[in-house]
Amino acid sequence: MLEISNLHCSIGDSEILRGLSLSVNAGEVHAIMGPNGSGKSTLAQVIAGHQDYEVTAGAVTYEGKDLLDLEPEERAREGIFLGFQYPVEIPGVNNAYLLKTAVNAKRKHQGLGEVDAFEFLKLAREKMAALGMDPKFLNRGVNEGFSGGEKKRNEILQMAMLEPKLAILDETDSGLDIDALKAVAEGVNSLRNPDRAIVLVTHYQRLLDYVKPDFVHVLSEGQIVRSGDKSLALELEDKGYDWVREAASA
Amino acid sequence: MSRQPHSIDELQDIVSRLPSTRNEDWKYTDLASARDISSRWLAAGRESLSLALQDEVEAVTHAIDANWIVIANGELQHPIDVNGASRLDDAPSSDTVLAELNAALLKDGLRLRIEDALDKPIGILMIDGTEDASVSQAYVEIEFAPGASGEIIEYHASKGDADQYANTIVSVALGDAASARHLRVQNRAAHHVQTGHTSVSVGRDANYTMSGFDLGGGLIRNDVIIDIAAAGAEVSFDGLYLAGEGQHIDNHTRVDHRVGPARSRQEYRGILNGHCRCVWNGKAIVHEGADGTDADQANHNLLLSEKAEIDAKPELEIYADDVKCSHGTTVGQLDETSLFYLRSRGLDKRHATQVLTHAFASDLVARMPVDAAKEALATVVEHRLAELLDSDPDTFS
Repeated sequence: MLEISNLHCSIGDSEILRGLSLSVNAGEVHAIMGPNGSGKSTLAQVIAGHQDYEVTAGAVTYEGKDLLDLEPEERAREGIFLGFQYPVEIPGVNNAYLLKTAVNAKRKHQGLGEVDAFEFLKLAREKMAALGMDPKFLNRGVNEGFSGGEKKRNEILQMAMLEPKLAILDETDSGLDIDALKAVAEGVNSLRNPDRAIVLVTHYQRLLDYVKPDFVHVLSEGQIVRSGDKSLALELEDKGYDWVREAASA
Repeated sequence: MSRQPHSIDELQDIVSRLPSTRNEDWKYTDLASARDISSRWLAAGRESLSLALQDEVEAVTHAIDANWIVIANGELQHPIDVNGASRLDDAPSSDTVLAELNAALLKDGLRLRIEDALDKPIGILMIDGTEDASVSQAYVEIEFAPGASGEIIEYHASKGDADQYANTIVSVALGDAASARHLRVQNRAAHHVQTGHTSVSVGRDANYTMSGFDLGGGLIRNDVIIDIAAAGAEVSFDGLYLAGEGQHIDNHTRVDHRVGPARSRQEYRGILNGHCRCVWNGKAIVHEGADGTDADQANHNLLLSEKAEIDAKPELEIYADDVKCSHGTTVGQLDETSLFYLRSRGLDKRHATQVLTHAFASDLVARMPVDAAKEALATVVEHRLAELLDSDPDTFS
């Protein structure tokens, strides 16, 4: 589904990704771990199409298409979803409006008609209940005045409504208390299916107690220095990132 | 009639004395086009055939449920079927050249006296449309008796390709404990010129709420002058200006706090795209002895194009001791992070921009003081915002 080969990417004068390669297939859950500054969030942002990052070498294909050729909105409509590490507060834009507009943008791209307003609200309320979200959040400004946990649940709600093929969740677990973490993990698990791939970008392995990854990759200085199964995450937790850094430079 | 008819030379003299940019208050707004239109119109005998305006009148008066009075090309349209409304022969001549011009050329003035609680808004539609260049005056005096309350809609519109200059004066007086909600909409044709003066005097414990929406026009200058000369007054006013390619919109406000305690707050917001210029100059003067004054002013601007220009200037003059005054001005572009967030949810750049600009204006639309007009106004604002985004071809390239 997603093929990243030898990706080099810079912001301003500093090179963040330095020859990163990764292959993600439908049905798989990948965890990308690494210390702060290793390039995890950059990778997530580049896949979603953030304009501040300049790809200087390498290639990214998504379902056979050159992903780097697509605008951010085209990527979204093709089924890529980025759950933001810091979801943006947008006062004055109604949460329900954004959800519906996003769903309709994708449906239009697929040649489908707009969603029925009644069905849409019903579905949104169901998904919110499953995430432990108060339905009143639908009528608030997007993330406006939301707590950290509410913002992350709201990202998962958007993901659940948009049903992406490839979901990238950037530090969705950071700043969550245990209840919120469980709710978010359940939301992610409920989306696991053979047609969908999920990439979890995380600093800690605690999310991985609830969402079991098929593959774990360790990112250091812009490259994947180690890949393995979920036991790698536990090993990291045990030995710390210095262990990987030393192993990489050895 | 107490007023002597003016000779053409006298009128040309008044026109020649319209404020120039050498005047500090008019530094950014050049009335050369108003002088030129007026001068040509006077030379041509002050006659110009009216265009058919019925469709435009109905577009407004049918969309907003109010008791409407229509002033077309400066003439009151009869019958005036509104309680407390009457025709005025004269406008008082005052110390400004614009008031002098208004008094000299006024055809019909309008007086509204509101005695108690209005059960329906009163709308005043001032509309202009002529075959050749023309100049129109409007003078409206609105008086709320002590304890009276009601909603007023002041709507400015125009039609046609010919040059037009409208000079309007609205004067509102609130008796003690009166309460007025005032909506002002300026939606003139793209190249037309207007100078609009609104003065408000506020009685003891009276409450005045106003929102102004500048959606159209070529060269627009608004002056809002509020005089608080009695304690306990509450004044709140907002302004939204949307300027696209070629437009110039200047809002000057002045609040005089002469006694306290009293509160005034204002918030103006502007969205600018393409080659255009807007001015916001908000002055608050707290006079000696006006202790207990609480005055707040804010002006926020969203510039969608590098070609757009805003001159924003808050001015506070405080001569009393016990006061609370604040002001804030911001000028910025669309937030890139918000834009990316929306695009990552599948909205294209134009749509995301539209959503964010709409959000920028949404508070002012929501706070709009006349409920009967809310839906119609929200639709007009939405439509105008969409036009605005497309007015500069470079914005989404």
